Amino acid sequence: MSTTLVFDHLTKRFGETTAVEDLSATVRPGRVTGFLGPNGAGKTTSLRMLLGLVRPTSGTASFDGRPYAELTDPVRQVGTLLEATGFHPGRRARDHLAVLAVAARLPRRRPEEVLELVGLTDAARRKVGDFSLGMRQRLGLAAALLGDPPVLVLDEPANGLDPQGIRWLRTFLRGLAAEGRTVLVSSHVLPEVEQTADDVLVLARGRLVRTGTLAELGAGAATGTTVRSPDAARLVELLTRAGLPGSWTSADEVRVDAPPERVGELAAQHGVVLHRLTPTAGGLEDVFFQLTGEART
Amino acid sequence: MSALVRAELLKMRTVALPGWLLLTTLAFVLLSVLLTILTAGMPNAPLQRDDPQMLARAVASASAGNTLVLVLGILTLTQEFRFGTATPSFLVSPRRSHVLSAKLVAVSLAGLVFALLSVVFALAVSAVTIAARGDTLTFDRTVVEVLLGVGLCLLLYGPIGVGVGALIRNQIAAVVAALVWTFVVEQLLVGLLPEVGRWTPGGAASAVLQLGDLATTRGTLLPVWAGALLLVAYALVLSGVGARLTLQRDLT
Repeated sequence: MSTTLVFDHLTKRFGETTAVEDLSATVRPGRVTGFLGPNGAGKTTSLRMLLGLVRPTSGTASFDGRPYAELTDPVRQVGTLLEATGFHPGRRARDHLAVLAVAARLPRRRPEEVLELVGLTDAARRKVGDFSLGMRQRLGLAAALLGDPPVLVLDEPANGLDPQGIRWLRTFLRGLAAEGRTVLVSSHVLPEVEQTADDVLVLARGRLVRTGTLAELGAGAATGTTVRSPDAARLVELLTRAGLPGSWTSADEVRVDAPPERVGELAAQHGVVLHRLTPTAGGLEDVFFQLTGEART
Repeated sequence: MSALVRAELLKMRTVALPGWLLLTTLAFVLLSVLLTILTAGMPNAPLQRDDPQMLARAVASASAGNTLVLVLGILTLTQEFRFGTATPSFLVSPRRSHVLSAKLVAVSLAGLVFALLSVVFALAVSAVTIAARGDTLTFDRTVVEVLLGVGLCLLLYGPIGVGVGALIRNQIAAVVAALVWTFVVEQLLVGLLPEVGRWTPGGAASAVLQLGDLATTRGTLLPVWAGALLLVAYALVLSGVGARLTLQRDLT
């Protein structure tokens, strides 16, 4: 029940444009791997090559050494969610899954089971054309789970989900990885995967610019801290002496370019009372934007 | 393989369009049968009221669904690309040729269902109308041959449609082209320029249906066997070419 995914020197050119260039990476079981990059970075093309839908110009992608096209029973081996448009609007949700289940020789009750897993039981008889984007994503996820596969490849699964849906998805994906499955999730929005992913692959303009654990990616961030103290003036003095100049953000609040641990320790050593100590948001995001060469908005 | 055929049949049964195409087919059959019988004996009508071939001519109208089965074949393919369902289809079966073969088998089977219902309906309406008018009602070998011809036409028009759908990827363009071709171009060619028209799919179908001077008075159609072979050839070549084009396509 564990499958390793390997991208091996994968390249795709559409005419003059290079969509993906020399992508090599390994995606391990039992972990959620975030496949990150801005829109147009080549994430979808990479995933479609992985799934045999787009023919690579060169290189290969494989599941335990076998390309998708050579899998004997792909639906039971790899679950996929690609963009939310793979539905006939006039077909009922349950029928959409039934078509796939029949084609893949899965048990007849499977569509009902996966609809329940994603919380769509009540909408089973409704036409997909009447579904909201969030419901389509859930239906797509249900389709991915039909064959109870050890590998899940999900392209922007959080698209169209409301905050509640995103939270649900996060728990859901963590659960799947905890069962030993290989979960590869693409996203162009870092915070979506920030609390879900163990590993990350960062893609920019078709090239892989970073691989590693999310923690490693975060370690590269220049973490800042916002600190509030009734004795802020003394704290700034201490910080400046320690070579960590801060800037006032309000009468009792200071922003420092240092991790919260450092600021807290310093305050404790000198008995300065702190009312608040917060890591400044965006540390990881800064790294992401830096890597992908995107300006922050 | 049989699982994929069953899936393709389920795809057709779970959307509304094939049902509407079937109803439209039966409406066309009704109209066409009545037109053939009720105009018999009128000035310039190709059919006389005492024509022993009256029933055979009338039940040839059961092939009125040709065009609609053609449209069904086209949509079977183009809808997959229009709605993006080609992606899940090819993910379930990465061997695309299997999906294509399943589609060809499924539309052929659907064509046979159309044929069966059309034939029963056309026979019933023809027999009742001819008898009611007191015209000649002869059930002979020719009637059986014509009905087999109807089955052959509807069996093959679906796969031809799949080929057309693969060649003209835009759904609306493909359907419009098919309608203009069968209702205008072929009618004119077969009727006015039969030496060319008899080689078209419509000309071949007219030959199989033994329409003779109902289709054209300016020349002759192919013999029945040649028409049948030509239709089979069209189905094989068009669906083959269509399959090849679809198989190589990147699904982005």
